[in-house]
Amino acid sequence: MFKKILIANRGEIAVRIIRTCRELGIETVALYDESDIDSLHVRQADLCVRVPSPETFLDVTTIVQIALAYEVDAVHPGYGFLAESATFAQKLTEAGITFIGPPAEVITAVRAKVKVLEAVRAAGFPTVTHTGDCLDVHDLPTIQANAARLGYPVVIKSCRGGRGRGERLVHKPEQMETAVQRASAESRAVFGNGHIYLERAMLPAHQIGVQLLGDRHGHLIHLGEREGSIIVGNQKIIEEAPSPLLNEAQREAILAAALAIGRLFNYQNVGTVEFLLDGTGNFYFSEIKARIQVEHSLTEMITGIDLVRQQILIAAGDPLPWAQDDVPFHGWAMMCRLNAQDPWQNFLPSPGRLTDVRLPFGPQVRIDSYIYTGCRVPPNYDPLVAKVTTWGRNREICLSRMKNALADFLLIGTPTNLPVMQRLMHTTAFARAHYNTDFFTKPPVNGADSEVTLRDLAVITAVHFARRHQMFNPTTPARLQSGWHKDSRRLPE
Amino acid sequence: MSKILVTLNEKTYEISFDLPAPGQDRLSVQVNGETVLVQIPDPAAPVNDHTWMLVDERPYELLFDPDLRWVASKKGLHPVDVRDLEAMTPRHRSGDGRLKAPIPGLIARYLVNVGDEVTAGQPVVILEAMKMENEIRAPMNGRVEAIHVDVGETVARGTLLVEIE
Repeated sequence: MFKKILIANRGEIAVRIIRTCRELGIETVALYDESDIDSLHVRQADLCVRVPSPETFLDVTTIVQIALAYEVDAVHPGYGFLAESATFAQKLTEAGITFIGPPAEVITAVRAKVKVLEAVRAAGFPTVTHTGDCLDVHDLPTIQANAARLGYPVVIKSCRGGRGRGERLVHKPEQMETAVQRASAESRAVFGNGHIYLERAMLPAHQIGVQLLGDRHGHLIHLGEREGSIIVGNQKIIEEAPSPLLNEAQREAILAAALAIGRLFNYQNVGTVEFLLDGTGNFYFSEIKARIQVEHSLTEMITGIDLVRQQILIAAGDPLPWAQDDVPFHGWAMMCRLNAQDPWQNFLPSPGRLTDVRLPFGPQVRIDSYIYTGCRVPPNYDPLVAKVTTWGRNREICLSRMKNALADFLLIGTPTNLPVMQRLMHTTAFARAHYNTDFFTKPPVNGADSEVTLRDLAVITAVHFARRHQMFNPTTPARLQSGWHKDSRRLPE
Repeated sequence: MSKILVTLNEKTYEISFDLPAPGQDRLSVQVNGETVLVQIPDPAAPVNDHTWMLVDERPYELLFDPDLRWVASKKGLHPVDVRDLEAMTPRHRSGDGRLKAPIPGLIARYLVNVGDEVTAGQPVVILEAMKMENEIRAPMNGRVEAIHVDVGETVARGTLLVEIE
């Protein structure tokens, strides 16, 4: 078993990994850069090392050097950054350090997104329609021709991508040039690689991911599915497990397909097989995510299995302790992502200092976060500040816990999407699980407040306005105002 | 006596009350002919965009956007418009042609040149922040008079980027 682990990540996922390491009695080494020193993971780790490189969490050479210098046994990459970098996994292995994730050759195989789609189709599973290869971003005519062949709308995707970064939806040929530039630039900024391919867009659709867990000894099981169809821009914001959309036959089919697809690539460690569902319930394979995902907390809630612990144990060579039929599934889980994004300004990122933070609590409410009162949300990293996950015996109880948790959550100092999340939870469409990827097109207004509440809100708005005005223009007390001009300059009689 | 007209979710409320004296924590407020009692928990605390108050016995914790165009309750996000009837002037709306960086970031590129005609809402500059490319849009119709910051430079929040006349 490992004695010391380096966490090559930051924010909530670093905090999450440190927690499990502590439970396992493993020492932790955290990384940070100076803009990110406030993040809670820096002070929770046993040691924290500043990354002396402008590339920070993307700098393979520097991070491998740090891993060697601090004599760690293994490196956990979290999600994003180097989580799906075969080069990183390879370099670590060569240095005698375990990469906590799938072996480098499995990463390479599942990251070749276009080849994966072809292999899955050859094995008899439906896939999304896509272009044949990574396209040259400067060769616009070829891109246009490919898009025309697929049929608009199309999605531009990063060959290295994930988490919606570097994705652009294109409705018309004339939008293509700008969209390609933007997608490629964003992909380069996030993944250090600007290659793209095209997929035919399915609008509206459902996004369903099946969690896989596989050891080094050939055992592969699934831990159920998650639905993440509510998105802003390209980022999932609300997810739940199980999917409210699938009936039992569909669920069985999709879980079996995910296991078969995982076996095609000899998948190991944790990973997710992602599918798109159209309105009629047909599912299409889209990609394999070779990492722990942001929404893994949902699966942990409905199975009681600590996925980060499993990642570490599998990497250390342990066999899976369960067969498929031993996996317990119970109840319902939901997760909301709170992002430092300004709902009043078209969801622009809003880094800054959180002057007041109050976290919700209560039964079956789980918070994953790196923030606290007074901390700064750095401008150079992901806007995710907190995840709220709730569990209930059924969807209704789970939803009411989520409503309460969000109502009790307080984030002050810099704008976040919290007010929008609170509102979404009160929509009838969400309560009935009537949603798809088109659900969120603009911030919903006019919430579920009663007449009396609305009147009270107006009253508070007026009092707030007057007090604010008063603060900036302090009034002179009436007794001092009256007669100053008339009387004070007059000589006493 | 302060007289304020608040339009919230397209319904208008006429609200009047005596401005609170320093330290006063209770206000009697007339709203559309009814009287409610407002309790300000800590009148000495600075007034900021996050506030909580009692109206009669009902507690409210609210978040206002800095321009007072929105109020967020725990269940909804409501557009508001506030007019001070005593001052007889609508409150100030920011709407001049100076486009400032709404967030700190890196100028990735400009989508317009000096002299171009732009319409309100048209993307003008791409600001890279939090690993995302963010479109900053024109605040009004007009012609681009000046571009103040070069591509590739990092700007602080509030830096003047573009002037539109």
